[in-house]
Amino acid sequence: MKSKIEWCPGCGNFGVLKAFRRVIERLESDGVERGRIVSVAGIGCHGRMPDYLDIPTFHTIHGRVLPLMTGIKLANPELLVSGFSGDGDALNEGMEHFVHAAKRNTDVALFLHNNQVFGLTTGQFTATTPRGKKTRTTPAGNPEWPINPALIALVSGATFIARGFAGNVSQLSDLMYGAIRHRGFAFVEILQPCITFNNTWDHYRENVYVAEPAESFDEAVKLVSDEMATGLLFRTEKQTFEETLLSSLKVPKKVVKRI
Amino acid sequence: MDLNVCIVGAAGDGVKEAGELAAELFAHFGYSVFVYQEYQSIIRGGHNASIVRMSDREINSHRKYFDLLICLEDYAYELYKPHLRGDLIYDTKFKCGGIGIPMTEIIKEEQEPNIFRNAASLGALTAYLDIEFEILAGIFSDRFGERAKDDITIAKAAYEYYRSRYDPKMKLKKIGRRKKLVSGAVAIAEGLISAGLTHFYAYPMTPASPILHHLIKKREIVAYQPESEIAAVGMAIGSAYAGKRSATGTSGGGFALMAESISLAGMAEIPLLVIEAQRTSPSTGMATYHGQEDLYFAMHPAHGEFPMAVGCPYSVEDAFYLSAELMNIAWKYQIPAILLTDKNLVESYKTAEIERTNLIEEIEIVDSSEGEYRRYEITENGISKYAIPPAIVKANSNEHDEFGITTDDASVRTQMHEKRMLKENLLREDIRDRAWKFFLRGKDTVVTWGSTFGPVYEVAEELGYSVAVPRYLRPFIKPGLDQAIVVEQNYTGQLAKLLEMHGVEVRKVNKWDGRPFTPDELRELLGG
Repeated sequence: MKSKIEWCPGCGNFGVLKAFRRVIERLESDGVERGRIVSVAGIGCHGRMPDYLDIPTFHTIHGRVLPLMTGIKLANPELLVSGFSGDGDALNEGMEHFVHAAKRNTDVALFLHNNQVFGLTTGQFTATTPRGKKTRTTPAGNPEWPINPALIALVSGATFIARGFAGNVSQLSDLMYGAIRHRGFAFVEILQPCITFNNTWDHYRENVYVAEPAESFDEAVKLVSDEMATGLLFRTEKQTFEETLLSSLKVPKKVVKRI
Repeated sequence: MDLNVCIVGAAGDGVKEAGELAAELFAHFGYSVFVYQEYQSIIRGGHNASIVRMSDREINSHRKYFDLLICLEDYAYELYKPHLRGDLIYDTKFKCGGIGIPMTEIIKEEQEPNIFRNAASLGALTAYLDIEFEILAGIFSDRFGERAKDDITIAKAAYEYYRSRYDPKMKLKKIGRRKKLVSGAVAIAEGLISAGLTHFYAYPMTPASPILHHLIKKREIVAYQPESEIAAVGMAIGSAYAGKRSATGTSGGGFALMAESISLAGMAEIPLLVIEAQRTSPSTGMATYHGQEDLYFAMHPAHGEFPMAVGCPYSVEDAFYLSAELMNIAWKYQIPAILLTDKNLVESYKTAEIERTNLIEEIEIVDSSEGEYRRYEITENGISKYAIPPAIVKANSNEHDEFGITTDDASVRTQMHEKRMLKENLLREDIRDRAWKFFLRGKDTVVTWGSTFGPVYEVAEELGYSVAVPRYLRPFIKPGLDQAIVVEQNYTGQLAKLLEMHGVEVRKVNKWDGRPFTPDELRELLGG
């Protein structure tokens, strides 16, 4: 089932793939059956992830990663469900699902490949494109202010908010592993340069730093707002959607929380 | 014996509930009952009507003219009186000739809110039909348990008032065992459960919402209202991918939002069941009224070519069985299946025998994580074995190879697309002998679909026609007819055109005012 990787040489996605492959190995060495690690991906360059992973996957349509993940988790709470999504995928067409998944604290992990541009459709602006940035569809510069995805996740109710960088694979891998192990909606924003349309390698290498997690929600708002802060930024505990919904029902509800 | 009773009032007067309880009263005596609920998209005020028809023969429709009108508001009386051909029972808070019952005074005396006038109206109805009061009291208790006390007190006061001033107009006799009353929504939901449904996701939209309302009460079903129709269909697809029989339900506008995901299920070969309960269109149309305008939309809801099943139940009983059939088809062929129904079927109540039973047709499912799984293996008949995690199963919205890996290779695409499309032929043969139902034997054939079957059958029987009804619209099987009178509730004649395409010469009978056909109207249209 080996397939040739088709990303541009130098793409930030290589770092994400490498980090996630380590997560799979680590989960397997923890004793998790590989077939229980399920990942969904949307449309965009990140959407190729399933082809390169030897686990159950679902490559879905644009923006609809989270409804599928939610349906999978509700159908079989024993699966460890994670998803890959791009900034366009999760925050343009998929925004309603993103906010609601965080709001209901569904027990899944979302990995957001944020390269601030539509890569696969050749360089148009997305919800996270910086203001003033010239793209194929904003030739005079992006007139809109960008969204901070981690901040949206935080204020929407996500209980694990982290930011990683595709250039720091070992940190990113730890964050993804922690996100999957987290009980509740875990969100990892991945700063991921698009070598072809938005090459931010140097900018990130020079500016990202590792922060200590915030101790309160108010502190977290400040910390998450600093877009160069990486690491686990905020973590809290809350009953998950599955626990709440399934607890009143007579359905199998063996929820595998931690490994 | 055939009695058509209309209860009218404002939204918030409990008219719908009064209609259901009156139906229970008739069902108690063994009659066949059909209840048509007419209401506006208004929470309080406006005008609502519950038309309750009972008969000693099997019926699937209400009638246009009322033998008895029970009226709680004077302005509603003005609207409905043109259809009155019998008695009137009214609240004496307003003036009009007929059987006056001081409903408002009774509830004031008992210090109950306005909505309790529905109990008073049922008390009066019970006296009108010379029924022992205890039978009505039992019906209240069955529905409300302990809480029935107040309803019973008020109904009793109205009953006594009637008896002290008026004579009963008829004597209702028991003609058989008590019948059960079922709504189309409940029939659909129970049919799905019989075929293994465990997960249901739906966003509120009239007239599909009652299906969600019914399922959400079930403790063995995971039923949930997510953020949108797009989320609902996505969750259903996710649950099916993980091995659970799932479904979603909506009406035209919501179905439009689901289109992209229906195409996804087609490509990823995920079993998906979608209920499309039609109402008056286009767009929001008249949100709470009836129509049959989405036939082509349901048959071709999404981009691209992929095999699909579309079924359309013609009665409340058929809704139960067809829902189960379509769920089994979705899983057997790993395709989207659409249950195309309509407001008059979903929201109407009828006496029907529906027993939940195991109707699941099991399919082989691979769930072992050993080895790499060829989810989309090319097979002779187009069906690959279904697999669910922990099998290493890769579903893909892109064109893909046998493992589910993305490809744009011309030969793989050619084979894979052919493999999928093969399934529609297989399905066509599978449904061939249950795709149409033929009734009666007469001079000409009347063809109709969905709930319109109810009034059509009744009139065809009287006027000496044959009746043919498609249960499956896709794959479409040509009926053995050269000519047909096609009755449907749309402007353009959608089924009629479909039949014309298959060489049938048609005469169209259409109506698009949002109100279901009644036998009375059809008698005029088909009489000649």
